[in-house]
Amino acid sequence: MPDTLIPPKPITSALDSRFKPSLYARVGIPNSFSLESYQAGGGYQALRRAFAIGNDAVIDEMKKSGLRGRGGAGFPTGLKWSFMPLKDGKQHYVICNADESEPGSFKDRYLMTEDPHQMLEGMIIAGFAMRASMGYIYIRGEYVLAAERVWAAIHDARVAGLLGKNILGSGFDFDLQVHRGAGAYICGEETALMNSLEGLRANPRLKPPFPAQAGIYGLPTTINNVESFCAATQIIRYGWEWYSSMGTEKSKGNKLFQISGPVQRPGVFELPLGATFREMIFDFAGGPLEPIKAIIPGGSSTPMMPWTDTVLDAPMDYESITAQGSMLGTGGLILIPQNYCIVNATWNLVRFYAHESCGKCTPCREGIGGWMVKMYEKLVRGQGKPGDVELILDMSDNIGGKSFCALADACLGPVLSSIKLFRSEYDYLIANGKSQYGGSSRWAD
Amino acid sequence: MLYFTDKQTQLADIFSRYPHTEQGRRSALMPLLREVQNALGHVPEENIAEIAALIGSTATEVKSVMSFYSTYHTTPTGKWHLQVCATLSCAIAGSDELWDYLVDELGIGAGEVTPDGLFSIQKVECLGSCGTAPMIQVSDVGFSECITRRKMRTQLEQLRAGANYLPDTVVPVFIQDGQQLNALEQKIGGKYSELEPLKF
Ligand SMILES: Cc1cc2nc3c(=O)[nH]c(=O)nc-3n(C[C@H](O)[C@H](O)[C@H](O)COP(=O)(O)O)c2cc1C
Ligand code: FES
Repeated sequence: MPDTLIPPKPITSALDSRFKPSLYARVGIPNSFSLESYQAGGGYQALRRAFAIGNDAVIDEMKKSGLRGRGGAGFPTGLKWSFMPLKDGKQHYVICNADESEPGSFKDRYLMTEDPHQMLEGMIIAGFAMRASMGYIYIRGEYVLAAERVWAAIHDARVAGLLGKNILGSGFDFDLQVHRGAGAYICGEETALMNSLEGLRANPRLKPPFPAQAGIYGLPTTINNVESFCAATQIIRYGWEWYSSMGTEKSKGNKLFQISGPVQRPGVFELPLGATFREMIFDFAGGPLEPIKAIIPGGSSTPMMPWTDTVLDAPMDYESITAQGSMLGTGGLILIPQNYCIVNATWNLVRFYAHESCGKCTPCREGIGGWMVKMYEKLVRGQGKPGDVELILDMSDNIGGKSFCALADACLGPVLSSIKLFRSEYDYLIANGKSQYGGSSRWAD
Repeated sequence: MLYFTDKQTQLADIFSRYPHTEQGRRSALMPLLREVQNALGHVPEENIAEIAALIGSTATEVKSVMSFYSTYHTTPTGKWHLQVCATLSCAIAGSDELWDYLVDELGIGAGEVTPDGLFSIQKVECLGSCGTAPMIQVSDVGFSECITRRKMRTQLEQLRAGANYLPDTVVPVFIQDGQQLNALEQKIGGKYSELEPLKF
């Protein structure tokens, strides 16, 4: 059979010379964040191509690319864009979710500080495809530099005619604004974010109606993650065929994976979906600095996985990680060291979710914000009693799937997985009043 | 004292970001709160009422929104408000000890201000800098990252001596000329510039 008839093997490793990083490709270039630098590298050509092929073709290409939302839930982006009403005559909004607050996640931050125009271009393309005239970028309040760079980028784009009326002579009008958060994890949930933008307490809203029907100010709205918009720019520039040549059958494209915890080189790496944990942790992050017992694969809400060869050799894509009992989430890996008490690690995250519970629904407010965090405080203080773990499991059963939004379920990720994998540590702590680990200093001189 | 009386252009700029409707006016709440807090270190009672009037709401509602977020303060903070990330990746890197060090060194607890008015401290949740743990946020200025004991000590000394605070800008991304670097710092995989843009 001639070479051209053999379907090429999909790209599932960043070590493969056919894999070309795109999302972070411009990091490290002097003034990579400036419009001048962005355009010198071919920036805003994707937008010109979008105008040339038309809005429906953009949505069609987004669907074909197989891109799934990179904010955690993995909903197909092209499909989401196609939910927007096309001819309702109302104002439509595009929102960029730059709240990035899931512990273990820090990829969007550098997309904004190092290459903000890539995100703006994706948003303008999205606005064009979905007949929107206005977009907001909701940036978590603590990202000061990111907000400054995005603001400056918007300003420069306006001056260059890339935002505003009749963009590049296309007849399309679109503008962007930045809205800064103020320190509340729940604002990352899309409907809570809309309430926050409207100056209300950021409680999530009931769905339906979905944002595409009634979002910000009651008008049709589509919200995507920063990385999703950046991927859109690359897809429209290099084509859905290029994009879907990376990844596995159902998880297409490339993704930014983050790693924190005791590894030689913590940071963000760009890998095709389907690359293994081993490649990420060893080839790119240089391997752990001390023995590890658990991997949180995709941000704090995704269930812990054991440090085993089976897990290390598992591909990082939506389906494979689900098959291993966890989730791809935001792709934020956290490595938990062997000598760090797992009950203490879990308590840390339970405390996080308890602190961030918005108080709207009872299972989360009382269950996570009240009972769960108290149970864990009691355990880590060494005051646990036999039966406490069973009580936690029973409570979890009453919380799981019963809360208004996914925050309470997110908290159960670390709780249930740590009990399942490390039950003996809970039992030891309860029997002895102190953990078999801990006490040693972890802060570097 | 009213804050916005002599800042009409700034006010107009903030309101112009949102629709000129009742709902749109209310969207200005968070940026207005931030303005006051950045200038005064907290949002005093009378400015809460001032902001409520500006957005067509009530002081009670503004307070209800403020209490939802960890950033807004109703009582004064120090000139340098040190916010220590206490979440898992930072905890594994020693943020508990970092917190204890600050409490000892500054002689204050959460919500207190040093007698010279220079410092206040607060524990906060993951700041999106887990790759450079442990870390703190300083006021609304920026992050100090990869904090060691020595680095924290030096930074406090400098701030006490009246130096201006310079945030870190570590970017833990390992890429050169559009090609990634593996853990041995060797270029690996393909290069961005090898991609062919579609013709149109
Ligand atoms: C509690 C909670 C927090 C969330 N935080 C974020 C976040 O910080 N950033 C984000 O992009 N999505 C976050 N999401 C997901 C959003 O609700 C939404 O699915 C996402 O922004 C859609 O964009 P995407 O399809 O491009 O991923 C969160 C969801 C929940 C339930
Ligand atoms: S855990 Fe501290 S910045 Fe994420």
